[in-house]
Amino acid sequence: MALKKIINRFKSSRNESKWPYVLFGVLFGYFLSKSRATDYDTIVDMFLCKEFQLYGVIGMAILVTSLGLFLMKRSRKPTFSGKPFDGDPLKWEPKRLVGAFLFGAGWALAGTCPGTSLTQLGEGKLIAIFTVIGILAGVWAYKRFMPGTSSKDQVC
Amino acid sequence: MLISNTWSWWAAGFGIGLTALGLAWFKGRRLGVTGGFEDACSLLPEKSSSFTPSPSHWKLWFILGLPLGGFLANLSHPSWSWLYGRLDALVFGNFILKALWLLVGGFLIGFGARWAGGCTSGNSIMGISLGSKMSILATLAFLAAGIIVTNILFKVF
Repeated sequence: MALKKIINRFKSSRNESKWPYVLFGVLFGYFLSKSRATDYDTIVDMFLCKEFQLYGVIGMAILVTSLGLFLMKRSRKPTFSGKPFDGDPLKWEPKRLVGAFLFGAGWALAGTCPGTSLTQLGEGKLIAIFTVIGILAGVWAYKRFMPGTSSKDQVC
Repeated sequence: MLISNTWSWWAAGFGIGLTALGLAWFKGRRLGVTGGFEDACSLLPEKSSSFTPSPSHWKLWFILGLPLGGFLANLSHPSWSWLYGRLDALVFGNFILKALWLLVGGFLIGFGARWAGGCTSGNSIMGISLGSKMSILATLAFLAAGIIVTNILFKVF
């Protein structure tokens, strides 16, 4: 019964091909894995400032993305379909920093962020299933106990 | 090279940047992972779900690709194990303690990411690239908390 409900909810908003998104997900997971962001010890060494691999990875990703977004904005055809890209920055709200601190603590404890936890599963780091369940519970609990923020207030 | 080793920071970072750009250019979407977890929550068979899924659940489909990417990146040396680096020593090799540890860590990640408005991919990569002051400060807070917690774990104990 419950399963049927889940499947129906999933089907109800299917009007666009999902495969490009899966493909981008595969690419993202592939590069995350190659960057060693999925390795607990590398994360620890990043936070102990012993190794600068991941700072470089994040910095390079930001450099490439911001440069590309800049070119997209300047171009006459901002996206492939011509539809403008929604590039509104996140609204400034100091209390968000509390959440950011909690996130950082979780990142250090679990040695992974949301994207890499799922990538770890595919790499064969089976223990990551507990991180994934924890993240789901955290996302669910935020909506349940801290209502009032809509998904429009999110970058992702 | 393509399937065996890990990459240098600039090559891997370049790939991640291109992925974010591809998603923006081809699909007009912003890179982010936590939204996919929220999509998954919207599928829970609750009586009245307060979750609004993304259009076509695209965020969920996106994160479903991640495990496959991780699998492909390790094709040449696949290893399936429950070990988890230096954390094993920290929890005295106790499986249940390790599972609880990761559940708590995961909970903080999920709860904090929603509160902060995005995770490492949403805030630190996409948000900063969009020039958002909020995302820059959120990222600094991520790092500050991570540095404090890790130093307590590995320097004090």
